[in-house]
Amino acid sequence: MDSVITTVQSTLTRHQNEKRALIAILQDIQAEYNFLPREALEFVAKSLGVPLIDVIGVATFYRAFSLKPRGRHLVTVCLGTACHVRGGPKILSEFVKKLAISPGDTTKDKHFTLETVACLGCCAIGPVVVVDGNYYAHTTIRKVDSIVRKYAKKRVKK
Amino acid sequence: MSATGKITSIQQLKNVIREQTALRKAEKRPVLTVSAGTCGLARGSQKVIDSLKRLIKKEKLEKRVKVKVTGCHGFCEAEPNIIIQPGDIFYQKVGPEKAGDILHKTILKKKVLDELLYLDPNTGEKARGELDIPFYKKQKRIVLGDNALIDPTDINDYFSIGGYGALLKTLSGLTPEAVIDTVKRSGLRGRGGAGFLTGMKWELARKAKGDLKFIICNADEGDPGAYMDRSLLEGNPHLVLEGMMIGAFAIGAQKGFMYVRDEYPLAVKHVTQAIEQARHLGLLGENILGTGFNFDIQIAKGAGAFVCGEETALIASIEGRVGEPRQRPPFPVQKGLWAKPTNINNVETWGNVPLIIKKSGDWFAKIGTENSKGTKIFSLVGKINNTGLVEVPMGMTLREIIFDIGGGIPGGKEFKAVQTGGPSGGCLPKQRLDLPIDYQSLSQAGAIMGSGGMIIMDENTCMVDIAKYFLNFLRNESCGKCLSCREGTQRMWEIVKNISDGKGREEDLKILEELALAVKDASMCGLGQTAANPVLSTLRYFRKEYEDHIKRKKCPAMVCKELVSSPCQYACPIGQEASTYIAYIAQGKHKEAFDVIMKDNPLPSVCSRVCNHPCEKVCRAGESGLPISIRALKRFVMDWAEKNGIQYVPPRVSQNREKIAIIGAGPAGLTAAYYLALKGFRPTIFEALPVAGGMLAMGIPNHRLPKEVLAREIEVIKQAGVEIRTGLTLGKDILIEGLFKSDYKAVFCASGAGKSLKMDIPGEDAEGVLHSLEYLRDVNLSRPTKIGKRVVVVGGGNAAIDAARAALRDKACEKVTIFYRRTKAEMPALAEEVDASIDEGIDIQFLMAPVKVITKKGKAAAIECVRMKLGEKDASGRRRPVPIKGSNFIHKLDTLILAISERPDTSYIGEGDEIKRHGENIIIDDETGSTTRLGVFAGGDAVTGPNSVVDAIAAGKIAAETIEKYVSGQIVTRDYRLVRPLIYVKPAELSEEEAAKAKRPVIPALAMARRHKNFEEVEGTLSEIAAYREARRCLRCDLETEDGKSAIGAKK
Repeated sequence: MDSVITTVQSTLTRHQNEKRALIAILQDIQAEYNFLPREALEFVAKSLGVPLIDVIGVATFYRAFSLKPRGRHLVTVCLGTACHVRGGPKILSEFVKKLAISPGDTTKDKHFTLETVACLGCCAIGPVVVVDGNYYAHTTIRKVDSIVRKYAKKRVKK
Repeated sequence: MSATGKITSIQQLKNVIREQTALRKAEKRPVLTVSAGTCGLARGSQKVIDSLKRLIKKEKLEKRVKVKVTGCHGFCEAEPNIIIQPGDIFYQKVGPEKAGDILHKTILKKKVLDELLYLDPNTGEKARGELDIPFYKKQKRIVLGDNALIDPTDINDYFSIGGYGALLKTLSGLTPEAVIDTVKRSGLRGRGGAGFLTGMKWELARKAKGDLKFIICNADEGDPGAYMDRSLLEGNPHLVLEGMMIGAFAIGAQKGFMYVRDEYPLAVKHVTQAIEQARHLGLLGENILGTGFNFDIQIAKGAGAFVCGEETALIASIEGRVGEPRQRPPFPVQKGLWAKPTNINNVETWGNVPLIIKKSGDWFAKIGTENSKGTKIFSLVGKINNTGLVEVPMGMTLREIIFDIGGGIPGGKEFKAVQTGGPSGGCLPKQRLDLPIDYQSLSQAGAIMGSGGMIIMDENTCMVDIAKYFLNFLRNESCGKCLSCREGTQRMWEIVKNISDGKGREEDLKILEELALAVKDASMCGLGQTAANPVLSTLRYFRKEYEDHIKRKKCPAMVCKELVSSPCQYACPIGQEASTYIAYIAQGKHKEAFDVIMKDNPLPSVCSRVCNHPCEKVCRAGESGLPISIRALKRFVMDWAEKNGIQYVPPRVSQNREKIAIIGAGPAGLTAAYYLALKGFRPTIFEALPVAGGMLAMGIPNHRLPKEVLAREIEVIKQAGVEIRTGLTLGKDILIEGLFKSDYKAVFCASGAGKSLKMDIPGEDAEGVLHSLEYLRDVNLSRPTKIGKRVVVVGGGNAAIDAARAALRDKACEKVTIFYRRTKAEMPALAEEVDASIDEGIDIQFLMAPVKVITKKGKAAAIECVRMKLGEKDASGRRRPVPIKGSNFIHKLDTLILAISERPDTSYIGEGDEIKRHGENIIIDDETGSTTRLGVFAGGDAVTGPNSVVDAIAAGKIAAETIEKYVSGQIVTRDYRLVRPLIYVKPAELSEEEAAKAKRPVIPALAMARRHKNFEEVEGTLSEIAAYREARRCLRCDLETEDGKSAIGAKK
């Protein structure tokens, strides 16, 4: 826990403890931990002199923030309009089936987190899936299987 | 000379630009420009770049060629692509393995690689350069065009195309007022959505009181389906920065913010780099170019909230707060960021500014329409051939954009709608394709320009689902401040979801419209005010689809899961529960499977042989492999029952209800009679021919449908209490009037389409010319036929193939040739039948059309044909065959069989019968099957013209339902139920290994040697193990509905 405080402290210092930088601060914390730990939020609130409820308010208002720890691999399925008309929802339900979790959740072994996004702006290559920043174009139900296997393999090797 | 140190004066900047421009001109090496925006990278452009660079290094080609990595070139469909200059060559879909060929052949030997050129699917021609490609031809890429010229990570490259020249001009003596005046004269309107006049906004910001002013670039491109801002920021970030600098100078702002989506990592990276470079060179910061102008830009990353595209919410977000909009006025130009005057424009707007300053406002105002000036970038996505970013002058029509530039709809599908403006926009139908695109006309049509997303939808898109999609998006993105928006989007979503789930009520549409207007009126910001647009526009243009969902429980596009359940059952005109009987086969419970089949179909053995299986066309297993062989599985069950002596015994019903007359003993008549008998009526079928069965008996030869199979099923129908009287012709032996007089309470006309159409070519009536139906009737009745040695069949439908295969079996026949005027892909005959006929040695000649029959002594001796080619697409989306002039040739023959098409013969209907017809086709009410005469119903081919067996069976079922209502005095309507199986059977569980190995079985067929000159049935039945394996491959879509899920969950 101390290490969290230390990290958050240096983030705050980098942003000169400015209240208006709250979103950027939370983005940095999330980049570090993949989610927003409770103690980090409490510390940010105290340090900036902002009520905790306002910090939580911001953290829950914006889609990019997560209050739950995420898995090692983040699978993001695009559900933008272009992906939607090209079968994005089918791709999502295939991931739901394969990983046996709902969107927004993480597998028990913390290996995968499944999320959706409203548009990644790569509509031409939809349906799009992004895993850890790697883009998969023209995804089909069949490709879902190979994507899951590819990242599941890494789990075995480790 | 690259600029490295600070540029401290106007003269210095002038020099840098001049030097860099000269350097670009002096470049003697050919340049390979590789697109590497997010889309390109996702498609592997980095690998292409790596392998090019590796090879150049290895072979020391650095002095012979230059590789330039740029942002997106717009033609996303063709990613990764490479433009080669000089020579203007456009290579598309380049793989890393092509690096060698490109360097060795194109660069060193100046040879164009044909296989990498764009192939125009409409003309079949290859395009060499960008401008030869229809996608680029009609565009006017004044903003996007430079993307393909520059390395976005290098400010010097931007200088080399005259970049920062507009800033130079501005700071060289233009007054802020002059800049604003130029922008005003240009007529530029905001490209973010609302289309407010940019010059006017700047003027307001300039005049606003306050020492500290801000400008913001809105790069929170949240509209799903729009990505032009991402492309500009990734591919030409300095253009946007330059626009902001000019704006800041004009307004008097000291600080700018770039509010960019965090979902765009590459855009964030390139903009960050660009700002650092500009700052490093002194183009941002204090005392820019020594003119006393101070300005700097900071990045603020969005955190995923659509509402932050709204300016006051965006401001709240930069201030570090929850992104809720606030009431306007005061407008941000008066009181914006930290209550200071703030001017917000979107990326594309800023990107237009340097062009206007450089060239003049009047130049810009010449492009576009009266009220909408300049160009607009659209992202053309969805069901479109050429996906990509398209920049066109305002005023171009939707049709030009979608069909000329976009290349139309893939897969020969029908265009249904275009959605513009994202969640705030609307869906426009086919009738609006000629709408010129500008701010006004779009909003009049019920859509908006928005940021330029243009999502194309085809027949497989459900408009109710689209409305549900946007409402779901909006209810999630509503910030929650206004009750009308927070609750209204939620309630609208619930209503539309209910409709999509088959739980809609007729009054829902009215409530939806009222609610939509209330949300529009009572919400504060743009999100809420426009939230109703997707609903209102789909209701306006696609109301019938809503009604289909509500009244008929149908989703015509087959998207809404709860309505479709399993596509096989949904698509089957008689609703056979394929997924259920297949599930039983997978458990070895064949008797149960048999019962499931018999429940809905009185002619299953027939269907298992000759059905055109619409189920297989929509089978989801077919999306990533081959569909389940549903027809063969049904055949397996029917044959299993037959082999095991299991006969279907229809339930005994006491027949004490009214007499019903049915005309025609084809599938429609037999089915109607069967179900009427099961309801207790006394149906009599009157058949003109000596045998029952209609086209099944007369049109289909024995090798495909053995007579005894048909006879067996007709026997069961008779057992149910159906009387069949053959050899009685309506109009001759009996009259409709007479039937009513003989106490028949209703008449069902199902007399089929038993007349061959003529071709209208000379010589058609000569001896030796047969018509397919008449010929097949003779074959089926074992009457003598006159077949010669060389037989030619003209046509491409099932009758043509049946006639050809029957003729081949004739003792006199030596060779059969089929002439068809289109290609195999367009043939209406079943694909398996076409293949089987080719296997049997029938020669099918495609793209041939007969011109005349050449006769000798009154007897057909040859046929003159003309070769055809496929031309432009016709209204049906199929390419129309057009004759090739002078390609006529003569083909000798002894017998010619014409199998063009068939039509009904309803000449038995007299004027006094008051039954309206369209030509020979009887006109009915689609819903109920009623004709224009009370008590007379019709169905099957007599109504539709030649159609499938299963459609005729369906027509018979509908007739039984509506005739019962009519006779018992009820209102004649149809009852629609949700497509659901009667029971849910547990799914088979496949191991990964089994799933990977599973494939569609080959259906056994009679050995070729045994088919010689006889009519023995050709197709065989699957073995039990093959059927078992195939049944286990079924994806069991029926279990994906809520009912299915809970049924299976309960069983566990």
